[in-house]
Amino acid sequence: MTVWLEVEGKKRRVELPSSVLDGAMECIVDGKLIAANARMLQPGIMSLVIEGRQYRCVLDGDSVLIDGRRFAFEVNDPRSLQGRRSAGRGAAGPRAVKAPMPGRVVRVLTVVGDEVAEQQGVIVIEAMKMQNELKSPKAGKVVRVAVAVGDTVGAGDVLVVVE
Amino acid sequence: MRRTIQKVLIANRGEIALRVIRACREMGLRTVAVYSDADRAALHVLHADEAYCLGPALASESYLRGDLILDIALQSGADAIHPGYGFLSENAEFAEACAAAGIIFIGPPASAMRVLGSKTKARQAADAAAMPRVPGSVTGLTSTQEALRVAAEIGYPVMLKAAAGGGGKGMRAVSAPEDLAAAYVAASSEAERSFGSGEVYLEKLIERPRHIEIQLMADEHGGCLYLGERECSVQRRHQKVIEEAPSAVVGEDLRRRMGEAAVRLALSAGYVNAGTVEFLVDSAENFYFLEMNTRLQVEHPVTELVTGLDLVQMQIRVAMGEPLAMKQEQVRLRGHAIECRIYAEDPDNNFFPSPGLITRLVRPGGPGIREDCGVYAGWTVPLEYDPMLSKLVAFAQTREMAIDRMLRALGEYAIGGIKTNIGLFRRILQDADFRAARIDTGYLERLLAGAAPVEEATVPEDVVALAAALLTSLGTERPPAANDSAPASKWAAAGRQEELRP
Repeated sequence: MTVWLEVEGKKRRVELPSSVLDGAMECIVDGKLIAANARMLQPGIMSLVIEGRQYRCVLDGDSVLIDGRRFAFEVNDPRSLQGRRSAGRGAAGPRAVKAPMPGRVVRVLTVVGDEVAEQQGVIVIEAMKMQNELKSPKAGKVVRVAVAVGDTVGAGDVLVVVE
Repeated sequence: MRRTIQKVLIANRGEIALRVIRACREMGLRTVAVYSDADRAALHVLHADEAYCLGPALASESYLRGDLILDIALQSGADAIHPGYGFLSENAEFAEACAAAGIIFIGPPASAMRVLGSKTKARQAADAAAMPRVPGSVTGLTSTQEALRVAAEIGYPVMLKAAAGGGGKGMRAVSAPEDLAAAYVAASSEAERSFGSGEVYLEKLIERPRHIEIQLMADEHGGCLYLGERECSVQRRHQKVIEEAPSAVVGEDLRRRMGEAAVRLALSAGYVNAGTVEFLVDSAENFYFLEMNTRLQVEHPVTELVTGLDLVQMQIRVAMGEPLAMKQEQVRLRGHAIECRIYAEDPDNNFFPSPGLITRLVRPGGPGIREDCGVYAGWTVPLEYDPMLSKLVAFAQTREMAIDRMLRALGEYAIGGIKTNIGLFRRILQDADFRAARIDTGYLERLLAGAAPVEEATVPEDVVALAAALLTSLGTERPPAANDSAPASKWAAAGRQEELRP
């Protein structure tokens, strides 16, 4: 499972095992392998051990408290719980599919004029050797495809617009 | 005269109601809680033996309804009422009504409250008791002309203050005569709105004063003890933020002189029970009478820790007619105590109150930590009352150790769902001026005017990202463990709801 985050204004990509459960696990943070041991004590209160170092982590809305320090973060993946900004925006009007982080376009799954369903994959980008399928935020007609296979894109670039 | 108290009604809410209930429990007394509609699930209700609803959330329709509270006391068979602080605690009419109904008011007699509770009358009493006080008018000002005349006599800068006031309302500092008229009108109308009385007086502004107060306990047999001082110089808009005991600048001699002056004032007014005399202290160790608070104060725990006494139990024994069980020379101060008032407020947004649901609460503990807390995870901090959540108190051998202990405790403390001022305390307690006790009543405003220091990162960025990803994923997608009988995570529920949105 891939989680796209913006932590303290910086874009991060975290790969977690497909079924995340308490205990020992291998995770990849921006391409770097980290052996972690996570234990959820209560909902939102987690003990995280990495290389013997223990961090007390408490989730509080859009920030996490670690060892008494607060770090603001946002989950950018539109599928996840905290992609609320896009989720709450409503279905009317054109909606853009944007690149969550810098990468390269490896596949374009749609053309202008296509009718797409909500959550239908429209484009695949590769970043840090991982491929990620970006999905349409709404059902509608593709009115713009701004990129082609092989293009390099920056974070926040508009890739496809659905109306 | 000895009176029996077997059942106490606590005419208050939140942490102070719980504090009083605990003292009663320890003394084997039954307790009666009262609550508003917003407080049915409040902690003080949960800890009481009996509980009765007062009415709507608004204080004027619940906790300020002395008539209802007295009815409940009579019907429940309570012998005494403890008013806590705020609400009815300094209301002389209520104290009188209690006496008339044969209920013991755990506090000073109405007559002493009338003399010492009004700031202008208290200043006259202070003069009579030969207390040094800040130069200025002893009666309310009647006109701008009078204000100008008094200000010219004592010299600028001056401070306008509401006679019935407190908490910084109806106060204005004026540095030049041309600004006085406007400030007088503003202070008077603010006082009228806040306290129902526009009476304003004027006194000389002491430059960079420290706020130091003396805790008193008087019995009805003419005994009166001073239980050391508290320094409350760390204030924001005249509201105390951190209190400590003892003060770093008060030595034995100054303590004795201030204590004896405070005792003199209390005895001159026939004062009984717990009270606090507030002073301003300048850099030359001159002290000036400020006002008297005729009640138990928020910050009483720091005094309890350094004296080893239980002030609420002492209050109840005094109210039973017992003489004080100790003499002044038996009062010993030991160690150092610091209190942080943890508030539901947003330091990044002008300290705007931030009431709401507390989703998570990890409370500190360990050696030397006392927390008087009125909240729990799952409690919704109501909009209607003071947003104080908790008083965190650290006690240690020295001031420096108490500061470090408090920093450790604040690091353990995590409150989720609402904004709090915990970060502000970390900043103050790490500040070089605070640590060196270079503080005065303007200290915090100056600190806040400067840029916040960037705290050195001790958590690697990758760890933060991983923790955020895990908390998000574990919170939303983890199937409940087999031994987890608790209801599904609220985050999971919110996530599902989110997914169902169009």
